[in-house]
Amino acid sequence: MLITAGYQVKAFDNCKKSRISAREWLEERWWKLAEKGKKTLFEVESMQERLVLVDSLQDLSDCDLILEAVPEDLLMKRNLFHQLDSLMPADTVLATNTSSLSVTSISSRLKHPERVIGLHFFNPVWRLPLVEVVESAHTPLELIQQAMSWLQSMGKEPIHVLDTPGFIVNRVARPFHLEAYRIVGEGSADKNQVDRILRSAGFPMGPFELQDLIGIDINYSASHSVYEGFHYDPRFRPHPEQRALVESGKLGRKSGKGHYIYE
Amino acid sequence: MNEFVLLVGRGKLVEEIDLYLNQQGVKTKTLDQVFSPNEVIAVFDLEIGLNQEKRQLLQQVETRVTQQTPIFTSVLHRTATEIASWLFYPERLVGFSPLLMPTMTCVEICFPIQSLRPNHKLLSFWKQIGKEVEIVGDQPGLVFARTLALLVNEASFALSEGVAKATDIDLAMQKGLNHPQGPLQWADQVGIHHLYAVLEGLQREYGEDRYRPAPLLRKMMYAQFIGVEAEQGFYSYGPQEMRRDSHCFADRPERRSKMLSDA
Repeated sequence: MLITAGYQVKAFDNCKKSRISAREWLEERWWKLAEKGKKTLFEVESMQERLVLVDSLQDLSDCDLILEAVPEDLLMKRNLFHQLDSLMPADTVLATNTSSLSVTSISSRLKHPERVIGLHFFNPVWRLPLVEVVESAHTPLELIQQAMSWLQSMGKEPIHVLDTPGFIVNRVARPFHLEAYRIVGEGSADKNQVDRILRSAGFPMGPFELQDLIGIDINYSASHSVYEGFHYDPRFRPHPEQRALVESGKLGRKSGKGHYIYE
Repeated sequence: MNEFVLLVGRGKLVEEIDLYLNQQGVKTKTLDQVFSPNEVIAVFDLEIGLNQEKRQLLQQVETRVTQQTPIFTSVLHRTATEIASWLFYPERLVGFSPLLMPTMTCVEICFPIQSLRPNHKLLSFWKQIGKEVEIVGDQPGLVFARTLALLVNEASFALSEGVAKATDIDLAMQKGLNHPQGPLQWADQVGIHHLYAVLEGLQREYGEDRYRPAPLLRKMMYAQFIGVEAEQGFYSYGPQEMRRDSHCFADRPERRSKMLSDA
């Protein structure tokens, strides 16, 4: 997305293999776009030039913005931001793509926590324009506004949210999933019915087919992290069936079975 | 024969369903009109039931129709079982969810436990008007209204906590998850009072805190800010100008700047 928008991008991944495969994956996509006539050869070549893989975090020190997307593990993110904080000039903006961790906890122990912002993109990034721009306890309003107009300039739809568990999307979507488990668990309806009824009401997918698509384990860990974030407020209590499914390896489409069976 | 459906209740939803039934070629009458008991093919009771009025109306209805006439009653707030307990002939009572009835391809139906052997003949009316019948458990709000009520409740909590402004919450759910409408504008469309009734009903029947209506929704009920129908819900709807893009009364930008100065 950044490269398409004309930015120079340096990419770093601890693992050299995944750095290279990321590049191959992107280039394949670009060439496909070129085949379809959506990009010219020249455009693809200059996009290739704009992507630079680097071997160490130090090599990123001339960037204006560093966007982190490591796994959702608070310790891992804290350590990374600690390194970035000492390696980068004080005016480099550090952004985390966290979907469920607190931006304030990630940034609090830094020398310059005021340059950290949450930029929560949604998958797939090239199809979903939404970005949650997260204001931590340290983020100045000017940085928020700067990020918002920058994202808008790339055709994104940014919204400004406070640093609270699940921000907006993951939080407000919780009952869509959790209540469905409850309705089925208490025997009020079966999974198929819940999906049919909610689709009929206008949702693009019912909760169970949607969970099979995104992964029941992913959905469960999102439920859990919002529940924990709100100090176990009963509104967010996960359902026992979620854990049972995850533990039995029924994770959705990716494992061949989840709420439904996939051949 | 001059057959018709007896419509009970008031408000925008009743008008919508009246219009919908007429479009399906079904005639409707109200309690204040003159008719003989044999002419009533079914009763549609759309009273929400937050007060005693629903009970009085249904007892009045029973004196005007035959013992076998099916009574379809809105179970947004009370269970069909509770409502049936008010009647002389409880076994002809059927609960249903009236929200989005004109647009949904299916209708959600539930039987009270008094009808020990559910009489499926009572449902022939729905097939006649081309609805697929989904029989679900007898709980306030059934599936769709319960799901929407909880989404709206969570959005209301987030709004009053200042996590994001109203238009951003709606944008987030539409652009991030492809919901047909954002929860707040959707609530304004269907009527805040219907969704509030679902939450209060669930909270009473289950005795669980997870269904507690957000304090903001309660206040909106006091103020009768029930949505489009009252020209004021989360958003304002003037007769001339649709002020959908204006800010919502519950947005509190000053709170955010105060948080910043505290930090």
